[in-house]
Amino acid sequence: MGDKIPAGERAGAAGLFSALVFLPVFFLSAQAAGGVSRVYTLAWSLFAAGTAFAIVYTGRVSFFRRIFFSVSALAFLIHFKLSLLGGVFTAPPSEAPFCHIAMAPYFLNYLYQQYLALMSGGWKLWGPLTLGAAWLFITLAIGRGWCSWACFYGGIDDGLCSLARRPLLKTGHWAQKLRDLPAALLVFMLLVSLALTLPVYCLWLCPFKLTEAFLDGGAVVRRLQYWLMFASLAALVIGPLLTKKRIFCSFLCPFAAWQAFWGRLNPFRVTPDDKKCTGCMACAGICPVMAIKTGPGGRPEILPYCNLCGQCLEACPGGLRYTVFGRDLPARRGWAAGLASAENFFIYSALTLGAVFSALWGPAALRDLVQLTVR
Amino acid sequence: MPALFSEGFLLGLSTGFYCMASCLPLLAPYLMAEGRSVWKINFIIFLEFLAGRFAAYMLFAFLAVMAGKAGRYAMPPWLLPACMLSCGLIMAALAVFRVASGTSACLLRADLDPFFRKLPVALGFVTGISICPPFAAGFLRLLELADVVKGFCYFSGFFTATSLFISPVLAGTPWIGRRANEIGRLTLLIAGLWYTGLGISGLM
Repeated sequence: MGDKIPAGERAGAAGLFSALVFLPVFFLSAQAAGGVSRVYTLAWSLFAAGTAFAIVYTGRVSFFRRIFFSVSALAFLIHFKLSLLGGVFTAPPSEAPFCHIAMAPYFLNYLYQQYLALMSGGWKLWGPLTLGAAWLFITLAIGRGWCSWACFYGGIDDGLCSLARRPLLKTGHWAQKLRDLPAALLVFMLLVSLALTLPVYCLWLCPFKLTEAFLDGGAVVRRLQYWLMFASLAALVIGPLLTKKRIFCSFLCPFAAWQAFWGRLNPFRVTPDDKKCTGCMACAGICPVMAIKTGPGGRPEILPYCNLCGQCLEACPGGLRYTVFGRDLPARRGWAAGLASAENFFIYSALTLGAVFSALWGPAALRDLVQLTVR
Repeated sequence: MPALFSEGFLLGLSTGFYCMASCLPLLAPYLMAEGRSVWKINFIIFLEFLAGRFAAYMLFAFLAVMAGKAGRYAMPPWLLPACMLSCGLIMAALAVFRVASGTSACLLRADLDPFFRKLPVALGFVTGISICPPFAAGFLRLLELADVVKGFCYFSGFFTATSLFISPVLAGTPWIGRRANEIGRLTLLIAGLWYTGLGISGLM
């Protein structure tokens, strides 16, 4: 919502928008959160609704998105990862854990498992099927937006990005040369995971396992796996602090490449406005995933890796905007009808989906924190 | 002889999936890196790769039969890791040269040593010797046969059947473009480093 609209009307529109976000989030969060008290799911839903209000009222998409996104990732770390640390692992996994990053490079193995299940008459292999259906729904709803609105790992990278005031290291020309590295990693891991029937990404590159139980038994390979895990962790934690870019998401995440490919199924895009764009390329400089490069005529070219975070929209108001397949929706008059823009449709989809998905751990993390404080 | 060919063919059919899974990490990145949208060129690369594999199979059959005749029932332990290492080095070197030279200068350009234009043959050869696990099954049978011609027949059948499993890799190649080539080169580099690492670890 722009500044041209009176504050009262803006507040009304933002209130309506946040109510529309709150209702499905609250209802579905209660289902997703399982046995966690409704008080916590209510708090989580209000947080999502508050984010929706702030975005529509101020028009600052990426600023408030980033707060929601980073808090969600932090909640994930608190609830899930720390509880994993308390668990005992005795053997490396022979199958990929149900994690979206691992899902992409393990896709051929899932297909093979499904084939085996079909051949043995047990066609209902629920894990991959359920995961596949959920992924398809998410891709149709928000596509590449997953990486900036819902991914619990991306939230860490994105949050750390915003901490540094200015980059200590500038990502130069090499960054664009290596921008296809996640796609190459994805292709390689798809093939090697199938060849070895092992989740190669989890064993070799995942920085989040926070345990050595998955690592190889041999000393040399184990040391190499350690090095790669720590390099990956450094890309996730230190990389964004030094460069103000999402280094892990941009160069090491195979799911980012996967979603960049399939994300074209989703209608939402970030599109430069040819009439307003001056070719200053401020958008390319600020893009945290280096998904904008100088195109023909010195104008910005949005790469498939764009994950619709909205950062460039704040750097260049009016110069870029959310569109549906590159086109604007017809403008409508009135404060409520004005909500029916491509930007708001996308934000609604992304925020609602992100909030419902994060209800799997968000309310539980709140409960953990409250219990920790009370004790 | 036809019976031996059939026996090898059946072994290939039963283990073909593993053969495909083992060969794809080498062949697919190469095809992505060097393939074109023209199907014919990709088919030639595929045939060269198969030719390399066939040569490796026949050499292997010969050596296995000789070993069987001499009563040596084991391969030298360094052979497979060494082949894997050379396989990885070839892939990594090709990728490094190609990435470093940019899009214009081409390592495989016409006026260069013809050896470099036969890299798929070399890749197929080292793949045939080192990477394929079903080889072990065929190896034991060859030791028992201890006859070169019979060994060739047996492994020809095995080669024919396993090649059928690898051929679907061509299905995706008509969509290869410049961007796929660039991704393929990076994939080739990663795969090369991977196999180099596996080879070194095996030798150690």
